[in-house]
Amino acid sequence: MTNSIDKNITGNATPAKLQTKLSTTEKVALSLKKRHQKERRFRNTGFSAVLFGFMLVVILIGDITTKALPAFHQHWVKLDVNYQSDWLSVDANLSGYELTQQLKTANFRKVLRNSLYPMFVNEQTPKLSRKDKRSAFKLFSSNAEFTIRDALLAAPEDLNETVSIWVRLDDDVDSYLKEGFAFGTAGLRIDEQQAQWVAKLEQEQRIESRFNTSFFTASDSREPELAGIKGALMGTLLTMFVTLLLSFPLGVAGALYLEEFAPKNRLTDIIEININNLAAVPSIVFGLLGLAVIINLFGLPRSAPLVGGIVLTLMTLPTIIIASRAAIKAVPPSIREAALGLGASKMQVTLSHVLPQAMPGIITGGIIGIAQALGETAPLLMIGMVAFIVDVPTSIADSATVLPVQIFLWADSPERAFLAKTSAAILVLLTLLLVINTTATVLRSKFEKK
Amino acid sequence: MNNIEITQDPLAQVELTETVGNIYADDAKMSIRNANVYYGEKQAIHDVSLDLAKNQVTALIGPSGCGKSTFLRCLNRMNDTIDICRITGQLMLDDEDIYAKNLDPVLLRARVGMVFQKPNPFPKSIYDNVAYGARIHGLTNNKAELDEIVETSLQKAGLFNEVKDRLKDPGTGLSGGQQQRLCIARTIAVSPEVILMDEPASALDPIATAIIEELIDELKEKYTIAIVTHSMQQAARVSQHTAYFHMGKLVEMGKTEDIFTHPSHKLTENYITGRFG
Repeated sequence: MTNSIDKNITGNATPAKLQTKLSTTEKVALSLKKRHQKERRFRNTGFSAVLFGFMLVVILIGDITTKALPAFHQHWVKLDVNYQSDWLSVDANLSGYELTQQLKTANFRKVLRNSLYPMFVNEQTPKLSRKDKRSAFKLFSSNAEFTIRDALLAAPEDLNETVSIWVRLDDDVDSYLKEGFAFGTAGLRIDEQQAQWVAKLEQEQRIESRFNTSFFTASDSREPELAGIKGALMGTLLTMFVTLLLSFPLGVAGALYLEEFAPKNRLTDIIEININNLAAVPSIVFGLLGLAVIINLFGLPRSAPLVGGIVLTLMTLPTIIIASRAAIKAVPPSIREAALGLGASKMQVTLSHVLPQAMPGIITGGIIGIAQALGETAPLLMIGMVAFIVDVPTSIADSATVLPVQIFLWADSPERAFLAKTSAAILVLLTLLLVINTTATVLRSKFEKK
Repeated sequence: MNNIEITQDPLAQVELTETVGNIYADDAKMSIRNANVYYGEKQAIHDVSLDLAKNQVTALIGPSGCGKSTFLRCLNRMNDTIDICRITGQLMLDDEDIYAKNLDPVLLRARVGMVFQKPNPFPKSIYDNVAYGARIHGLTNNKAELDEIVETSLQKAGLFNEVKDRLKDPGTGLSGGQQQRLCIARTIAVSPEVILMDEPASALDPIATAIIEELIDELKEKYTIAIVTHSMQQAARVSQHTAYFHMGKLVEMGKTEDIFTHPSHKLTENYITGRFG
């Protein structure tokens, strides 16, 4: 047997004398070593590629996390606030509703100033100069005035009393305390005098580091110590809600129609090519379309999650349609035939067999589409979702911004504290992505089990 | 009648003008006259006429690619799903033209069921597999009646005793032979009049095949059956009538014992005696 094969090979291949001496088994054995080597090389290349990718992810997450950590805590300072009614220019004899009304518009800045200056005087400088006063005042957040106002409004009986109240420090002081700059370092935004004052406050144990709750409960602000992501997070959730609500049903319906119902002709060919092309269109183009058609022609509100959702739907639809079509195509035709052979109508075949079988694949497509939409910034810039918005949006027609745009805005801000905020916002975005993906994976495995 | 010269190559294109044997049945459930099937430009079935006798088994045999499966699929309009497929001729079920414009293929397929070559249970439970047809056709809204349909169908398919304790298990978890009997149970749950079987045992081992063949023999009491098979022994065992197809043409048809003992046509003889195919 071996001999005859051998003869055959040598007979019509080469006249080389060497070959005639080797049997087939020997030839195979010779080539085997090379083949195994190739296999090993291939496996190692693949493994190192995976390792490299994994390493990059670890470095990325590690870097972002370390940079983000300072954003999660913030320094507060204890003030002894003297709520003198003549500083506030309110009538101390009033009470109840009228007092509250007066307190709302009272001059708390004067109370703040007069309460904090005494902390910085000593024997050598019994009275602060104008310049010193200004730089002392700058140590505190511009929000401190409202913190002490709210405290008094909550407890009006403290009028004409001195109480200890915790207020936020200014972001420059906060950064100084967090990062422990040597004095005179570039990036340091407080002067020597201020540094001494901060040291004094620390000595008196008036400074405390607390968990930064306002990062999660506040909306955007020009002051880093006040800026939070709640507005952007809500904007993202609302926008994603609209996107999911529109793109998933539309995409699946489109894919089902094209795969199961549409006649195969030139028109459907053209549609298919165009869907594939749409998937490759730069996303900012969809933003332009949204601006020109949805806002200017249809008159929907600018900066609204509704419009953002529609624009992102346009962007994710091709992805979902392509993935869904692939999943639908992968449903074995035998299942369709079985149902058809029993007398199921096209609709019944599609809904009770094709769709459930294709669902895991469709969900995967949906995840990719939504993840893409979640990180999209460019098209939203065009429709005004880049605006500085201080209110937390509550409906899809409110003005809003989204997390990636918020990250972009913060990354663009000059204040040092925004550096940590940017990283923290990225962490929140990644967490959101992880939550969405996990949900989808759980959903998919549930469908696969069926 | 035998006006055909057999050349050296038995698979070469043969000029066939007429079918030999007897295509007529005394009590025809389906009668097909001058059926032609085209896939685009290519003609797959040439002018086939035959009857399917009521409550009997008709076997369609022939070499691969001779069009017997195509022909079978025309009988419940499964070829409608193929865009380029075109069918001419007269195909009658009882006295109705199954390709009539006003006939709904969904209704036709409820009357003419089909069992496929590869067992193809739905990825659902055994119960749901059998109940599916009854559900989609709205045969019953009653849970007890549905249970009854499922049980009798499984019993008729000879599967009930094997699966009665695990009706909620997935149908895809059964063995190949059991899956095929599940598919048969699923088909008869709709109470069709005709059952078309496209090589129902070709993916099964001899024991499972024997069970299926026995089942076919029992089923013919209630149903008219057409079966495509590659196994001549199987055709001889289960069928009363045999039709031999060759290159898209019906060469010979007649009683099974006649075809297998003294075929009239040279091509049939060559095929049956195993000279080709």
